Amino acid sequence: MSTMKNSLKLKYQNDIAILELDLQGEKVNKLSTPVMNHLKDVIDEVARSKAKVFVIRSLKPKIFVAGADIEEIKNLKTKDEFEKAVRGGQDIFNRLEDMPQVTIASINGACAGGGCEMILACDYRIASEDSSTRIGLPETQLGIIPGFGGCVRLPRVVGLQAALDIILAGKLLNAKKAKKAGLVDKLVHPGILEEETMKWAAQLAQEGGKRRKQFKAQGLVNTILEGGLGRRVVFSKAKEATLKATKGHYPAPLAALDVIKETYGMSDRQKALDIERTYFCEMGITDISKNLIHVFYLTEMVKKQTGLPAGSAAKAKDVKAVGVLGAGTMGGGVAYIGADKGIQMRIKDINYEALGKAYKHASDLWTKLVKKRVIDKYQAKQKMDLVSGGIDYAGFKTLDVVIEAIVEDMNIKRKVIAETAGQMRADAIIVTNTSSLSVTEMGEAHPKPAQFAGMHFFNPVDKMPLVEVIRGPQSSDETIATIFELSKKMGKMPVVVKDGPGFLVNRLLIPYLNEATFLFQEGMDIKTLDDYYVKNFGMPMGPLALMDEVGLDVGIKVVKIFNKAFGARVQIPEVMEKIGKSGRLGKKNGKGFYKYSDEGKRLEPDDTIYAELGLNAPKNPYTEKECIERGIFSMINECASALYDDKIVETPDEVDLAMIMGTGFPPFRGGLCRYADSVGSQTIATALEAYSLQRSTPRLKPMAALNAMARDNKKFYT
Amino acid sequence: MSTASKAKSSRDVVIVEGFRTPFVKSGDKFSQVHPADLGKTALKAVLAKTNLNTDEIDEVIIGNTGNPPDAVNISRVVALGAGVPQKTSAYTVHRNCASALESISQGFEKIRGGTMEVIIAGGTENMTQMPVLMPQKFQKIFMDLPRAKGPAQALPLLWKLFKTDVKQIKAMLTGDMRNELMPTAAVMQGLTDPFVGINMGQTAEILAKEWGLSRQTQDEFALRSHKLASAAKEKLREEIAPVALGPDYKETIIDDIGPRENQTYEALAKLKPFFDKETGSITAGNSCPITDGAAMILMMSREKAESLGYKPLARILSYGFAGLEPERMGLGPVYSTPLALKRAGLSLKDMGLVELNEAFAAQVLSCQKALDSDEFAKNKLGLSAKVGELRSEIVNVNGGAIALGHPVGATGTRITLTLMKEMRRRNTQFGLATLCIGGGQGGSIIIENEN
Repeated sequence: MSTMKNSLKLKYQNDIAILELDLQGEKVNKLSTPVMNHLKDVIDEVARSKAKVFVIRSLKPKIFVAGADIEEIKNLKTKDEFEKAVRGGQDIFNRLEDMPQVTIASINGACAGGGCEMILACDYRIASEDSSTRIGLPETQLGIIPGFGGCVRLPRVVGLQAALDIILAGKLLNAKKAKKAGLVDKLVHPGILEEETMKWAAQLAQEGGKRRKQFKAQGLVNTILEGGLGRRVVFSKAKEATLKATKGHYPAPLAALDVIKETYGMSDRQKALDIERTYFCEMGITDISKNLIHVFYLTEMVKKQTGLPAGSAAKAKDVKAVGVLGAGTMGGGVAYIGADKGIQMRIKDINYEALGKAYKHASDLWTKLVKKRVIDKYQAKQKMDLVSGGIDYAGFKTLDVVIEAIVEDMNIKRKVIAETAGQMRADAIIVTNTSSLSVTEMGEAHPKPAQFAGMHFFNPVDKMPLVEVIRGPQSSDETIATIFELSKKMGKMPVVVKDGPGFLVNRLLIPYLNEATFLFQEGMDIKTLDDYYVKNFGMPMGPLALMDEVGLDVGIKVVKIFNKAFGARVQIPEVMEKIGKSGRLGKKNGKGFYKYSDEGKRLEPDDTIYAELGLNAPKNPYTEKECIERGIFSMINECASALYDDKIVETPDEVDLAMIMGTGFPPFRGGLCRYADSVGSQTIATALEAYSLQRSTPRLKPMAALNAMARDNKKFYT
Repeated sequence: MSTASKAKSSRDVVIVEGFRTPFVKSGDKFSQVHPADLGKTALKAVLAKTNLNTDEIDEVIIGNTGNPPDAVNISRVVALGAGVPQKTSAYTVHRNCASALESISQGFEKIRGGTMEVIIAGGTENMTQMPVLMPQKFQKIFMDLPRAKGPAQALPLLWKLFKTDVKQIKAMLTGDMRNELMPTAAVMQGLTDPFVGINMGQTAEILAKEWGLSRQTQDEFALRSHKLASAAKEKLREEIAPVALGPDYKETIIDDIGPRENQTYEALAKLKPFFDKETGSITAGNSCPITDGAAMILMMSREKAESLGYKPLARILSYGFAGLEPERMGLGPVYSTPLALKRAGLSLKDMGLVELNEAFAAQVLSCQKALDSDEFAKNKLGLSAKVGELRSEIVNVNGGAIALGHPVGATGTRITLTLMKEMRRRNTQFGLATLCIGGGQGGSIIIENEN
């Protein structure tokens, strides 16, 4: 109890009661059950007091209230449990709203979810302009909806359109945008937030000013959209947009939309909250919500990791300047993300034309951000200033890390790595961005292999969050820690993997893409097959479209490497050899499974491909179930082997994070391992066994690792 | 070598490295490149080549005359953008055509005196981007407009603006250059002497006539500049930092755009005199073009360079600035050079290589004559005998500003850099870089090869 007293410090100054949030033993303030219970007591006490104004502020430096306690939500199982928890929260914020005092929330730092719902129950909101100030309702990102009155109060405060924008996308607004939306009333410099809050409080204590803010539309168009007919248009547009964005796989935004539709303008608060609560409980118990919370925990896990095994004391070295060898698509992308995060980037290539392409790539991306007003033109300029290049090794002695992104050729890479090491400081690190070659073999070319590792980015670099940090047998702890930290600094999610063909992500992806090619070869129509994966399973892109994207020439090369490494279990489809000779390279030459526009936009499937490869017109001989299973189960089969035989990574957590962040594996399924667990290892092994027997091939045969799991019906997550 | 090198001292000021952008005629490829970005490119090349730990830099001093309104202390903009730490001081200097020699001389004093150890000096100029100035009458309206309260006050002002606009267009259509409503190009105003009111070309006309320089000798000199600069293309690349042209970065400029390999004497001879149409001899062909470009060098004390493991390229021995009649500004080098020579304890014949900036062919040629004249030395310089003969074989051996161009605020560093690199190629011991300065001054610097 005394900890709670210190966590929620209540004090009185004249007519003003001040609640200071400072959750003891935690970095952030969050609304756990004990906090909420104590908050209720505080509210009741102040309500009974003579204070005229009630101020809520936080003592944490960059946090107001981060939200509810996700750990608690994770552990709620039944509708009744949800009902009880949510009703309690709704009730407490009702009490806050009903206090006789004028209430002011004074916000500096993150104010999300339950924190935002708390300030919505206050009369006034003042916030600091600090960049850490971010306010919003991200609940739908976790598969739930705002449940402590957020769906009801936010539209009332900021109007229908702004509220839908905030709740459906689950995004947080910065201080400026929050002020513009009317979510906060005043915006001040963080240095005077407390002073201004108290000044305002003293004024309100004098003059009074209890209110329930009601949004008023400004301008003709907005007034129409707020009106009865306009509202219908707004709701139907919002639903359309949400369905398009979620492809129907995420029910929470639609539930939130329904709540707002049913409750907007409702005068009976309790009835509105009852509706909100009902929908909340429905969402809370879905597997989708549990899976999304799992994904949230995976991303939190990375933030705390160092990339090193437990017990290692090695520290990441500070990285200020990074070099990039090769100004191609990957090199240009890496230069962009580095400079975007304030790192000095130096690119080396063999001619100025290549360097120019990298400059343009980066410059165009920042120009887009300026147009979208995410950054201003000065920030864009500063970022561009961080990018420089040359055709020699000038400046390489100032670099802490060099990322090699040249042609995928072992001999050339080895030569360049040795040469580069000679041009750098003795303590500098070189990493390779190879996707298919052995990091171990490459590292031997470095005079000090301890200072060499892999750093595998995914294409397009600015969008794909994953980096595989490949630990070679000789890579030092310091090297791995430095590259792990550098990945995070670049805004990426690193996963440390062991060296081996395809590392983790490509190793799992190749059997899947290969199986899709077999399905195509055996008579599946391109569009039907890809649609099964995209529309029904939830992949961001069908396997055949993905192969076009990667490049069919690259695909064939990699499958051959895998066939060599893993033997018959990665069989080369005959049709693949034919594609190799057909001149179809995929997206890059506008000819692949699909047709492409001149700008490289994917159009409809290229139906001439069947005849060209000597295939009959597609008859779609397989069910959706078989298509999905053969592809996805192949991945799971390989996953068990990578995880348990070769220990490419240590835990299923890392597999799930890598597959979601590196391939876009549907987050609502929680990741590959989590999906496998939901199906069951026995089911998977049995199905694969059957598929393998049907076509008497070792290709789909469950491997020992999967069979071992199936024997005891074991799960990846125990 | 006739004169032995002075003993080396730990407080010697040395040049460690230098780079410049290509020089590009105004209105051409650098039209859209901000002078700060030109400066950054040159400075980044210096920092990259030397792998310098930027924490070591004490100060950045950059010459500039255009004073772009969006980067008034352009030195600071260049420094921050090139990766010089925020803690490091940076300021801009302006001495017209010698701004980038002024920056070096200030760095020299600060290092020699022991105040500082590592200084970036240079200059940058985008003459294309110098503004066009609106006449005072417009300025008044533009200032009053935002203060107008309501349409009752604003409308009369807008009507006045409209009327003034119409008058201005009329003046432009009739070519009434003297009309007070004509907008002025800042670059043109800058090239006109504010004290005596004649432009730089006219000062060259005065010299041509007073020193009896024929049109032919001038055109021959201009031709020489183009031929030498064209022949030196490969050599000059060693001092050039390529500029990638945004926003599409399809093109990277790696050479000066100016030297014309196929320039003929006949073509030069055909040009009409520009400044004195009747009796003049100064043409666009025997003058330097208006140009965009930047140049930067890294200077250190000898002891600092040694402790950081650098092998200096040259040591700066002395510099000198002097004044003369504004209308004869082209003779500035004749006045400043004896000062610099005296401070270095050397004479003109010790100089193995000379860069004398080519503002105008007539101006270079009259400098040569004046330097070689006892009478001029006695009457004008207060010296007992002539400064000395300046042999053409050692002057501007890689061409000069007539071919390369003269981005006013950057040239001082450019000629020092070009001189230093050529001295190393030829193993020359002493070299002089000098230039005339609009407003009636001259500037000179003497460096010694560290080979």
